[in-house]
Amino acid sequence: MELLPQALMDGVMLGAIYIIIAVAFSLVYGVMHVIDFAVGEWIMFGAFAGFYLNRATGMDPFLLLPAVFVVFAVLGYLLQPVIQRVLSGKKGNPLLMGLVFTFGLSLMFRGLAQTFFGFYSLSIPSRFSTGSFFFEKGSFFLTVSHVRLAGLVYAIAITVGLQYLLKHTDFGLGVRALAQHKDAAGLMGVNNRRTSAFVYAIYVGVSAMTGVLIGTILAVSAKMAPEYTIFTFFVVVLAGMGYLAGVPAAAFLLGIIQSLFLIYLDPGYTLLAVFGVLYLILLVSPTGLFRKGV
Amino acid sequence: MMRRIFAALAALVVAGPAFAGAPRDYFKVGVVTELSGDLATGGNVTKRGYDLWAQAVNEAGGIAVGGKKYPVKLVYADAQSNPFQGAAAAERLITQEEVDFLLGPYSSGVTLAVAPVVEKYKVPMITGSAESPLIWRQKFLYTFGTIPPINFTGASAIQTLAALSPAPKTAVIFGSNDTFSKATAEAFEAAAKQSGIKVVKFNIVPAGQDLTPLMSAVKGLRPDLVAFGGHDEELIKLVKGLHQIDFAPRALLMHYGVTEPAFVEALKGDANEVFGGAVWTETTPTKGQVLWKDAPSYAAAAVKAFSVPADYTQAGSSAAGIAFQVAVERIKATPPLGESARAELVKALEAVDVQTFYGRVKFATEGEFYHSNIGLSPLTVQIQAGKVAVVGPAKNAMKAQYPMTPWSKR
Repeated sequence: MELLPQALMDGVMLGAIYIIIAVAFSLVYGVMHVIDFAVGEWIMFGAFAGFYLNRATGMDPFLLLPAVFVVFAVLGYLLQPVIQRVLSGKKGNPLLMGLVFTFGLSLMFRGLAQTFFGFYSLSIPSRFSTGSFFFEKGSFFLTVSHVRLAGLVYAIAITVGLQYLLKHTDFGLGVRALAQHKDAAGLMGVNNRRTSAFVYAIYVGVSAMTGVLIGTILAVSAKMAPEYTIFTFFVVVLAGMGYLAGVPAAAFLLGIIQSLFLIYLDPGYTLLAVFGVLYLILLVSPTGLFRKGV
Repeated sequence: MMRRIFAALAALVVAGPAFAGAPRDYFKVGVVTELSGDLATGGNVTKRGYDLWAQAVNEAGGIAVGGKKYPVKLVYADAQSNPFQGAAAAERLITQEEVDFLLGPYSSGVTLAVAPVVEKYKVPMITGSAESPLIWRQKFLYTFGTIPPINFTGASAIQTLAALSPAPKTAVIFGSNDTFSKATAEAFEAAAKQSGIKVVKFNIVPAGQDLTPLMSAVKGLRPDLVAFGGHDEELIKLVKGLHQIDFAPRALLMHYGVTEPAFVEALKGDANEVFGGAVWTETTPTKGQVLWKDAPSYAAAAVKAFSVPADYTQAGSSAAGIAFQVAVERIKATPPLGESARAELVKALEAVDVQTFYGRVKFATEGEFYHSNIGLSPLTVQIQAGKVAVVGPAKNAMKAQYPMTPWSKR
């Protein structure tokens, strides 16, 4: 019982990592209806960018986040028209083509990363990555690592920022209109191509920043991507496909299940528990936890 | 036109087998290893070892058979860190590339999938890396390995730690859920019990997971020793996680991966004082009869070729090549090797007893270590000032840094 505060805190902080890998993905799905298999690879590229920028400049990875965002947002902006073209084809099944296309991208990105960055696992050093707060009262104790707490703050900031963008700006209004009805939004003067390109740019930029954070908290390697792609899908499906506001709850739920299982039950069955929960929830509510997914 | 193309293709298919067994003036050596996927780090370390052997043999003119020297040519197939892909890759190397023998995978999981394939086609294979005892218990006739199994080497590290003062009394042991890591954790557990260390928690955990929550729970148990069986990235994540929650047990033991240069490179000062197991380091006193005269000369050749220091997996992989070289020279077989020559090669491998830069290579011919190398002694290592130091049980061992310095005092 004395481990419960720790288990919950660890779960919340694991959840924070899941929020940041899934929140932008959920946004891009809501607007473009593209299931981007390369999400893990954007995280990986971001992590490598953070690693090399940190090595070159000596700056703390947290200070490098804006630069990484800008570089990757530009990349995403330039790549989006290609994906848009695949998705808006007249023949075949455009959604399926989108899946195949991004799956191909993910394989190519992974191969490129191994060729250019090598096969070693790396780590991004940060002044936050070593310290922790420690609280003790009676037999209860709680350790909160600085870097994971910073990750939690970042996750909350990104979620609040994206929500603000969606709900309180003209751009966000356009995005929501597009998500509801493309043709009607077009008739109201929303530029589909440009808005989608901006959304994709934000998604790639945020994913890359997430990579920097993961590289700081955990590790960076050319083989890291598939693991994060799977967790992204898990969180987004649980939250409801395209329902951004559901992401934090789904991510915290996943983190806490994982943490409780690791600590109290058999750690060997953690993933079974996680996917068992996903299966049960989808069985009861196929559109996600809040019944608001697509 | 199409008909002509088909006729030409048909002719090629029919004529294909006629080329099989055509004389070659070189040995064609198949290599199945993990060049991509989760285990790409280790897979590429074995590749360095195999490449370095091939380069050294070819620089010397090749393998000497009956007064003539035959160079070796390595043909790679990527197992993609997946046992099924590994088995398919081995089959392709054997049936299409018609290789004379095989150098095997990095991981035990892939080796276990490839071994039945080489058994079926009767093509000898030596793995320069796989360490799970499961491989040797199945008594595959055509599969050999240069690194002793983990139940032979893992125990030694625990015994070294048990002899330290004050001796660790309690341990938490866990391993990742893959063939090698699981075997490592089991070996640690058995040895701890034998050495009188109480195992307060033992778990096999899903591969690649963030184990920080589990470590928080372990922190509450305050064990003297934390021992973990896993691969490179998992080890790095674990050490970072322990630092993040500010928990330093008296001793932190891992097995393979600690000696990989990437471990120190990624963790910098945090890598210091972590214990590991090995069977070879650059300073191991050996006297080689083939290619390299001792460990330092091999280490120098490795740095010259790849600009990265060699670890025991790379050395074991080069030693696998040497074992084949010695056995082929002994049976005086010229390429390509037919089925009877390959059967003879297996017998020659069983008779190999050679001193190399890596130490003695002698494969067991019976018992639970069947066809595994029993010529080596296990070493306990510790990262000290960013370098791999041997701290037991060798005579020239350095003093272990124990207990571990708390993270806040580093």
